[in-house]
Amino acid sequence: MAETHRNVSFVTGANGQDGTYLVERLAKDGHVVHALCRSVAGGHALESIVPSVIVHVGDIADGETVHRVVGDIEPTHIYNLAGNTSVARSWEFPAETAEVLGVGAVRLLEAAWRLQETTGVPVRFLQASSAEIFGENEEGRQSEQTLLAPVTPYGAAKAFAHQMVGVYRSRGMHASAAILYNHESPRRPRSFVARKIASEVASISLGRSTTLVLGNIDVYRDWGFAPDYVDAMIRITAQPTASDFVVATGEAHSVREFVIEAFAHVGIGDWERHVTIDPDLYRPADPRRLVGDPQRLHSIGWRPTVDFPSLVRLMVDSDLAALRRPATAE
Amino acid sequence: MTATQVKKAIVTGITGQDGSYLAELLLSKGYEVHGLIRRSSTFNTDRIDHIYQDPHTPNARLFLHYSDLTDGSRLVTLLDEIQPDEVYNLGAQSHVRVSFDEPEYTGDVTGLGTVRLLEAIRALGLDTRFYQASSSEMFGATPPPQNEETPFYPRSPYGVAKVYSYWITRNYREAYGIFATNGILFNHESPRRGDTFVTRKITRAVARIAAGVQSELYMGNLDSVRDWGYAPEYVEAMWRMLQHDSPEDFVVATNTAYTVKDFLQLSFEHVGLDWEKYVKFDERYLRPTEVDSLIGDPSKAKDLLGWEPRVLTPRLAAIMVDADIKALELEGSRYVDVVESS
Repeated sequence: MAETHRNVSFVTGANGQDGTYLVERLAKDGHVVHALCRSVAGGHALESIVPSVIVHVGDIADGETVHRVVGDIEPTHIYNLAGNTSVARSWEFPAETAEVLGVGAVRLLEAAWRLQETTGVPVRFLQASSAEIFGENEEGRQSEQTLLAPVTPYGAAKAFAHQMVGVYRSRGMHASAAILYNHESPRRPRSFVARKIASEVASISLGRSTTLVLGNIDVYRDWGFAPDYVDAMIRITAQPTASDFVVATGEAHSVREFVIEAFAHVGIGDWERHVTIDPDLYRPADPRRLVGDPQRLHSIGWRPTVDFPSLVRLMVDSDLAALRRPATAE
Repeated sequence: MTATQVKKAIVTGITGQDGSYLAELLLSKGYEVHGLIRRSSTFNTDRIDHIYQDPHTPNARLFLHYSDLTDGSRLVTLLDEIQPDEVYNLGAQSHVRVSFDEPEYTGDVTGLGTVRLLEAIRALGLDTRFYQASSSEMFGATPPPQNEETPFYPRSPYGVAKVYSYWITRNYREAYGIFATNGILFNHESPRRGDTFVTRKITRAVARIAAGVQSELYMGNLDSVRDWGYAPEYVEAMWRMLQHDSPEDFVVATNTAYTVKDFLQLSFEHVGLDWEKYVKFDERYLRPTEVDSLIGDPSKAKDLLGWEPRVLTPRLAAIMVDADIKALELEGSRYVDVVESS
């Protein structure tokens, strides 16, 4: 009896920023949560945050593992968050990026489809899609109807996975894509511009660093708070019918604004003195403005809980707190 | 002196329908042609055996190399050795119905194969022109007629993989200035089409039914609308795209619409038979999701490349049925069609 109401979630990319927030949330909601982590160390790190999680060490690039794990645990929900999340890195490793982000999603979709066909129990699938699939779109804000036009290997690989979700949905699977715009948190790695700014600004304010080196600061992004975006993923999979949803705040802010806000928060007005622009950090191609229209998501009750200035401040504060606790790991 | 002027081309998928016609065309234009073939314990070079020469013979201009689009480092090595002027990426798992059964493999070959080739060209810094075989299957459910500006809406793993290749080709063109083009080819058929593709399946069956060695033909959806052209004309368009001043994307099509039922009728009528007496329905040939209507507008190819289709569907059906009849008469030996003059 209980078996029919069981919720078993399988999360890939589980020890990334979104993965850890999602695993925490699902465990709190009473799901049995299985996590795919690429390394044993990553699995341990996740277990230290969520002790109840069941870790499977494996790679989404390995089809045999993906099919075996899905077949063994018979998940009712699958969240595919795995893969390189750096656009810059995708120019260095374009084939690997497509292998993991594109074909990796196909492996998981196919494993879910076979499970559903075998057991007759529907599987709900959530693909972490990305605003990068829209690329150079001329529209002011992108919606679920906006045409795909990726301009980076990352965007092309994500578009591949996004459209495969559509193919499986047409075949009768509850497969949805959450088209995620930039979403940040203190758990973002420092290789990402928002976290890089937050941590460097915190460091500069304490006199431990002098310069923040950035690439193009006049690109506009729609920045949200990662736990809000994880909440959106859960709401999307709970919908009666599968669909794609833009997950965004709807507000555009430039990297420059992020920098100004961060310095202002630590009481530094003449921020330009601390910032160096390095053209080597410019990317071969970069969408200049990505802003999402979250109307459809609003219609299912989602609203962001953290606005742009609050996001910048909470990230700087978190890095300040970490720096003031020199002996402990973050 | 003259040796340095010989153009070199690499053709992936050279053992396929388009690859074999393209190899013939390039050889006729004086190219040195390097074909990439997959290792297999069974022979898979039927379509190029008639133009293959032993590499030891003097002036041999067709060379075959074992390679696979899933092996990136092998591609780098080969491109470095050959230093091609032109690369035609025709290699793919090209069967739409099969792509539903093998979505992962289809993605790996039909999608990732393209980025592996482009990345090899970029990493080696080759001054190479690149042709990507894009497909009308990318349009999927978008209503016809489709042109270069039509949005994509792929309905199959094959279509999705081809869309990926389309975008990555554009990305490399725009980000790195590589001469990389997409030829968006609508259905193009010939006597060399694989036996499992719908047109060839029909024309083979017609030849066999006419000869009395087969009595019925099982088909799936008869109402799909397609724009069928003649493959040798389409490979000519590929070559013209790489000779154009600038790298652009082109639709190659006839802009005519026929249903599968029309093709059945044309083929059976060519041998004086009534198709309805022989054709039976089998749901196994239905695709899980079907593309209803694909009709291409090739105006841009006409304007910029001077390319126009000459063989339209009725003549195409006749060419294919005639070829299958001859092939059947030669059963046991190998029949090779000769390209029909336009």
